[in-house]
Amino acid sequence: MARIRLESVGKRYPNGFVALEELSLEIADREFVVLLGPSGCGKSTTLNLIAGLEDVTAGSLYFDSTLMNVVPAHKRDVAMVFQSYALYPHKSVYENIAFGLRMRGHPRAEIESRVKDAARSLEIEPLLERRPHQLSGGQRQRVALGRALVRQPAAFLMDEPLSNLDAALRIAMRAEIKKLHHTMRTTFVYVTHDQAEALTLADRIVVMREGVIQQIGSPEEIYDRPRNTFVASFLGNPPINYLEGTLAADGARFVRGGLSLALPPELSKKIGAENGRQVRLGIRAEDVDPRGTGETLQGRISSVLPVGSDQFLGVEVEGTTLFFRVGRELRAAEGENVALSVNMNRAQIFDSSSGASLLWK
Amino acid sequence: MSIRAGALRGVFGAPVSRYDQASALWLLAPMLAVLLVVAVFPVLYSFWISLFDLRLTRPHRVPFVGLDNYLEVLQDELFWSSVWRTTSFTLMSVTAIMVIALAMALLLNEEFRGRRFLSAMLLVPWAIPYVANGLMWKWIYDSGYGALNGLLFQLDFIDKYMVWLGDSHKTLALIANAFVWKEVPLATILLLVGLKSIPADLYSAARVDGADLWRRFVHITLPALRPSFMLVMIYETMMAIRHFDLFFILTEGGPAEASHVLAWQVYVETFRKLSFGTGSALAYIMALVTFLLAFWLIRTLGRKL
Repeated sequence: MARIRLESVGKRYPNGFVALEELSLEIADREFVVLLGPSGCGKSTTLNLIAGLEDVTAGSLYFDSTLMNVVPAHKRDVAMVFQSYALYPHKSVYENIAFGLRMRGHPRAEIESRVKDAARSLEIEPLLERRPHQLSGGQRQRVALGRALVRQPAAFLMDEPLSNLDAALRIAMRAEIKKLHHTMRTTFVYVTHDQAEALTLADRIVVMREGVIQQIGSPEEIYDRPRNTFVASFLGNPPINYLEGTLAADGARFVRGGLSLALPPELSKKIGAENGRQVRLGIRAEDVDPRGTGETLQGRISSVLPVGSDQFLGVEVEGTTLFFRVGRELRAAEGENVALSVNMNRAQIFDSSSGASLLWK
Repeated sequence: MSIRAGALRGVFGAPVSRYDQASALWLLAPMLAVLLVVAVFPVLYSFWISLFDLRLTRPHRVPFVGLDNYLEVLQDELFWSSVWRTTSFTLMSVTAIMVIALAMALLLNEEFRGRRFLSAMLLVPWAIPYVANGLMWKWIYDSGYGALNGLLFQLDFIDKYMVWLGDSHKTLALIANAFVWKEVPLATILLLVGLKSIPADLYSAARVDGADLWRRFVHITLPALRPSFMLVMIYETMMAIRHFDLFFILTEGGPAEASHVLAWQVYVETFRKLSFGTGSALAYIMALVTFLLAFWLIRTLGRKL
């Protein structure tokens, strides 16, 4: 078992607060699904519902074809890694890892060999006799992973497991978690607000906002074909740029003041010919080229922020400041004028008022 | 400022300049003076008295007797029976306090309707002074018009009013009951603080790991509560050993010697027999025993905190 199905699942707290409304989601066996969104979007609540730590107040939750709504947490075959690690402070590392097996009544010899195996694969064997307070953050993280993986659960749940680590360690652990998913061959549900984690780890990303799913799709889909401005803004660094304007020439041009950009035929076909319609043009920070030809943006450089490999340029275009990522070879100085060619094939068009994409439904 | 080697060290181990030491001493001086007068002097003076055969019945002759008072006390049969009664009172009270307070704290740690009201009500016994508490229980236990008799009689548990405190088999338990009633609130609150400091994630982790309610209590709550539990137990043990007020108000050590505990014997020696020498010696023995017990408890149980 490891297919997780949520059917119109809702979570309403006794005080009336609705954390989730009508959430439907199907997670396939051995899939790595990342729930992504800002704090308070309901992603952790969703995870807690799957784990059984909170009660579903509407709809149905299935593991394969078994209804799980009222099955208590300690009878569900899932393991969970917490942001705080939640290691048992009075138990040794060994006892921490063994606890879940012990609670499920595995024989002592089997527990020992499984704990040792888990410790070996996570390279924490020398730490088995220590207490959690004697470990570094990274080591605690590994123990928390060990505690979950030793159980060989049907589903692996992770609630922002990397957010308490420093940046370098976080990237290394991302790779390890990805490796873990390959070797464990089980379903992973991972909660994060970090777009980079989501993009690197996920088979599918579920973008959430205020208890409602905004979009479900592969990282490429989410990044390249965002369904609304919320999804488009949530991924990308620096975030996507928006220009408010109108459609002209039967949907073939985007116009804002003195700026007029031709839209590629495939895009304008999808939009439909509504001249004068208020739209929001989205241009990702990396979709410009200082040396290219074609549609160009003219503007004055308001800031130059080198970030090592690249530089971020703040450019004032038609009264708004847009941020682009360009190569280091461009010699740019504040106050200068610059012309950047825009890759219009990758442009996004949203409805001005609703924020919904006119390209992807 | 000059800093000499081996000088006083500040909070972070940095040497404190001589000027700082001097000014610190000046600022502390008033409080030190008060402490010397009200705490240090009486303690030392009572030890001094314990070395003399001071009897207010013949105040003009006060011979120095060395440790004779101590020997006299230790050879007194009543002293050893008092030790036994003090021990049994302490065991009874502390066990009851810890069990009830733990149950109350676990209850109040849950969310339910009326929790705030119950928490407020819990504080009432704590707010009542010992003497008022004693008088209240004296009325409750009264043989003629007591609430306990009234209640049990109306419920048909007894067919006639009982002289509760007159029954030497029940006296200690009844006094312990009044003591427990008064002590449970503080113990509950201290345990509740301990419970509140346990991270909720630990319970979540244990649930996911397959631990049911009882195992979560054994594996998460109990070990995490251990420091608070030990603290409360040591404190209540000290309180019970030295308790005097209820014995004074409810039974005056009686009937016969059924509630003659150490604290009561100190009072009898000193203020009834007016033998300040043996009274002080007794008080010192009690203080020493209390101190050693606390030391032992902290060393053995506290080490595992």
